[in-house]
Amino acid sequence: MSFKYPVVMPKMSMTMETGELIGYHVKAGDSVKTGDVLFEVMTDKIDMEVEAPADGVIESLVAEPGAVIDIGKPVLIMLTETQIMAFDFSGDEAPVVAQPVALAVVEAPVPAPAVVLNNDVKAVPKARVEAAKRGIDLRTIQPTGPDRTIMMADINSAQADPAVRKRQAANKALIAKGIAMGREIPQSSFSRSVSTNFDHARLISSWARILRSRPDLSIRPQVGVAVIIESKYGSALPVFKDPDLMSLADLTSLISSTSSAAVNGKVPLEMLSGATTTIFDLTSYSMNAATPLLFPNQITSVTVGYESATTRNISLTIDLRYCDFYDGAQLLDALAASL
Amino acid sequence: MTTAPLLIGHPLASKEHARHALLYMCRIRKFEEAVEDLFGRGMMHGTMHLSIGQEASPTGMCMALNLTDQITSTHRGHGHCIAKGADLTRMIAELLGKEIGYCGGRGGSMHIADVDTGNLGANGVVGGGIPIAAGAALASKMMKSGKVVVSFFGDGAMNEGAFHEAANLAAIWKLPMILFCENNKYGMSSSTEKAFAIDNLKDRALGYGIPSVNVDGNDVVAVYEQAQIAADRARNGEGPTLIVAETYRWKGHSRSDKNLYRTKEEIEEWRLLDPIPKFVEKILESKLMEQSEIDAIQAEAQDQVIAAVNEAVKAKSAEPSGLLAAVFKEISA
Amino acid sequence: MSDRMLTMAEAVREAMSIAFDERPEVFLLGEDVGIYGGAFGVSADMYHRYGAERVLDTPIAELGIVGAAVGAALAGMRPIVEIQFSDFTAQAMDQIANQAAKIHFMLGGALHVPMVLRTPQGSGTGAAAQHSQNLEPWFASVPGLKVVVPSNPADAKGLLLSAIDDPNPVIFLEHKLLYKIPGRDSVPVGSGRIPLGVAKVVREGKDLTIVATGIMVNKSWEVCEKLAAEGISITLIDPRTISPLDMQPVYESVEKTGRLLVVQEGPSHAGFINEVIAQMAGSSSFGSLIAPIKRLAGMNIPIPYAPQLEKAAVPQIEDIEIAARDIVKNWR
Repeated sequence: MSFKYPVVMPKMSMTMETGELIGYHVKAGDSVKTGDVLFEVMTDKIDMEVEAPADGVIESLVAEPGAVIDIGKPVLIMLTETQIMAFDFSGDEAPVVAQPVALAVVEAPVPAPAVVLNNDVKAVPKARVEAAKRGIDLRTIQPTGPDRTIMMADINSAQADPAVRKRQAANKALIAKGIAMGREIPQSSFSRSVSTNFDHARLISSWARILRSRPDLSIRPQVGVAVIIESKYGSALPVFKDPDLMSLADLTSLISSTSSAAVNGKVPLEMLSGATTTIFDLTSYSMNAATPLLFPNQITSVTVGYESATTRNISLTIDLRYCDFYDGAQLLDALAASL
Repeated sequence: MTTAPLLIGHPLASKEHARHALLYMCRIRKFEEAVEDLFGRGMMHGTMHLSIGQEASPTGMCMALNLTDQITSTHRGHGHCIAKGADLTRMIAELLGKEIGYCGGRGGSMHIADVDTGNLGANGVVGGGIPIAAGAALASKMMKSGKVVVSFFGDGAMNEGAFHEAANLAAIWKLPMILFCENNKYGMSSSTEKAFAIDNLKDRALGYGIPSVNVDGNDVVAVYEQAQIAADRARNGEGPTLIVAETYRWKGHSRSDKNLYRTKEEIEEWRLLDPIPKFVEKILESKLMEQSEIDAIQAEAQDQVIAAVNEAVKAKSAEPSGLLAAVFKEISA
Repeated sequence: MSDRMLTMAEAVREAMSIAFDERPEVFLLGEDVGIYGGAFGVSADMYHRYGAERVLDTPIAELGIVGAAVGAALAGMRPIVEIQFSDFTAQAMDQIANQAAKIHFMLGGALHVPMVLRTPQGSGTGAAAQHSQNLEPWFASVPGLKVVVPSNPADAKGLLLSAIDDPNPVIFLEHKLLYKIPGRDSVPVGSGRIPLGVAKVVREGKDLTIVATGIMVNKSWEVCEKLAAEGISITLIDPRTISPLDMQPVYESVEKTGRLLVVQEGPSHAGFINEVIAQMAGSSSFGSLIAPIKRLAGMNIPIPYAPQLEKAAVPQIEDIEIAARDIVKNWR
């Protein structure tokens, strides 16, 4: 699918309202790679080069050099294979400030909850019967059967005692509260498709390494990657600290032991704080895409969705107060490249 | 009453025999005419194959058979049924899809069987009844029941493997069987000239080592005489006989036939060889009956068919509710 | 005399002999069934015991033979017709499918056809494509035929006696590889019948239900034994009569095990065993399934000649074992 993407006058500082287009580095028909300079902008403070957010082709130049352009208004239009989403929740108006225009009709992105439940649940017949009987919403069940099918074992493990259910509810409330707080943050999301030859360890390690090169995107000196894991008590978020400094083998075994501990609700205390970013791996939920929202005090979050047997959809959400679209696109490209 | 007691013997043996032969030929004729009419009025489902013009063959053959002797019949089988003594009302009722029909509406025109008169069933498959007749004849031999089994079939069936296999079995086992071919010259549209490389169909019997004979299939007397010889051979344990009765169907193969494969002149020639007047002439010659008696018999046949139709039309339609239970015969305790 | 171990050929012969002794109208006809004793020796010695009239050698004429059996049955006899290889029933199919199967229904119940057609079927002898087919679905798809597929000598005896008693045409499909093998169980003496249309629960377990026909019952038994050692317990069901089909024990078992594996020798496409799956899928027991239904069947190819090719064409013990283990291990 090809997307028609307007590259807009970016907001480059807290006070910026307009920018002057100094000149183009490209013309219509040019092919560009991520990071190629598209045009130069002068603001009240600085001159900036605006780079291509993704690989693509320049379709048309919209503004004349020398024009003063409001932020968010298009400067040029490019065609790209990468779906780039952008939201802004800061205003009172409808939140969408920029959205890709697909050549093919695509649904307009809407503010999405952090977890999008899949309606195409696969479940063995007995699981459906039992879920209906016990009042369980199958969409909330994590499938562990072949081909991501919900088995009876999954239904049974979802049947918890009241104490467990209480903790599950508390966990949900905690996460919901964090997400609710995060919704106030002006943020933007990008997504693209990558092939599946990576595991959790590589994903966590790669993302940590990229963030380490951007200390400006962290409120802490160290990198803490929170990873959402299903546990007996609902979603757990153990934090892997500086995972890029560990060997992949060590990280793999740490993830494995933490996951088993988390499943039983026993995440080590020291792993419950210190996150600077969060990874939601939703592949096992049959979800092909979800727009991650930010937790407070985190500038980035990453979601991995199931796209096909051989591809995954990776989404990145950034806090626009610290990080702009172009930073975001570069981060996503870097992550994709490292996988 | 739509049935009449069967009478065995030569059609000119007595006044009763002559009456029987004439009545049965007329019943067949009138039955077929009634079927054509009812079909034309849209009262009958499916298709129908009329044997008008061929009445002498089954009548003559069946006058050589006991009630317990058996026959297998064909898709053009109304005449065989009637000649063997079937009830006209139940036949018409079957064609009308009624509960009292011979098959309860499940078989229709091509599948009438009547155990009481030794009719093992008409057959929708060309040649299908010939091996069955051989089997029934085998049973007759094994059970020493003395029954003769006649398989009626047309010229078309003689090119089926079933004819060959059954004729051979009948021959090697010396079965009490009569292979009765009504050669009406066409297997649907294919003439015997096109379908056979031999001039006389009876020559096929040479290959099986069984005797065979040609007979004027429109002459009930001639048919009976050859049938009686064949039946005697069968009863005496001498084995099967092939009778090839030369006859003609006046009507098309079925309702949809436009007669493109034969001429009007040919049909007209055969109409002049109508088996009923031919027999009437013989009755008059033999002085067994007066013309007025003959007219009365023809009227009687017509009345019987009309009565049968009236009764059948009023009968209850067959219901689908019992279909599943009808597939298998129940195992008796 | 006590129960003995017999081969299926011996058990079938014993059933036929009992029927011959019980009813004078029972007779056997077929190619080489007389002095030769049948191509697989099933009727050995019967010719001497009952004579050429009741053990009737025929010319090579399957259509004529079956037609003669149909006619004899209509006329009051109870013929057992042997077709040398089930593949050759194709020659006789008009008499089987258009005549025998339909006469009772089509003729309004006026007549019936108490005939048994016995024929060896199946692969494993290297006889290649025209002598090795499993034709269960051919017959099972014709209303009016009862179809029996015995998997062992004891069943073969009791079922054949019932088939001969039955007033309807019965197709009796004997697997050639089972002819010479003694069964696991002894064969009762006497004339005990096993009713048609009643499935047999061969063994009971709690983890998996296997429904298999004919020789596949024997192969599945081996798998049940082997997996029992691994702690997997399996219910094995032999329908014995595939038409009419007795599904009740299958439903009852699946309600306990939640898992169903079906196995047949014939090609998978439009195979008989698919009927078991279809009936299960449409039943109220469907909701008991905790795993997808698994089917093992022959490849959709004519049976090849070379032993390694022939083996690959139909399910083997190892295939059943793998399938059974996977379904139990992967679906909980």
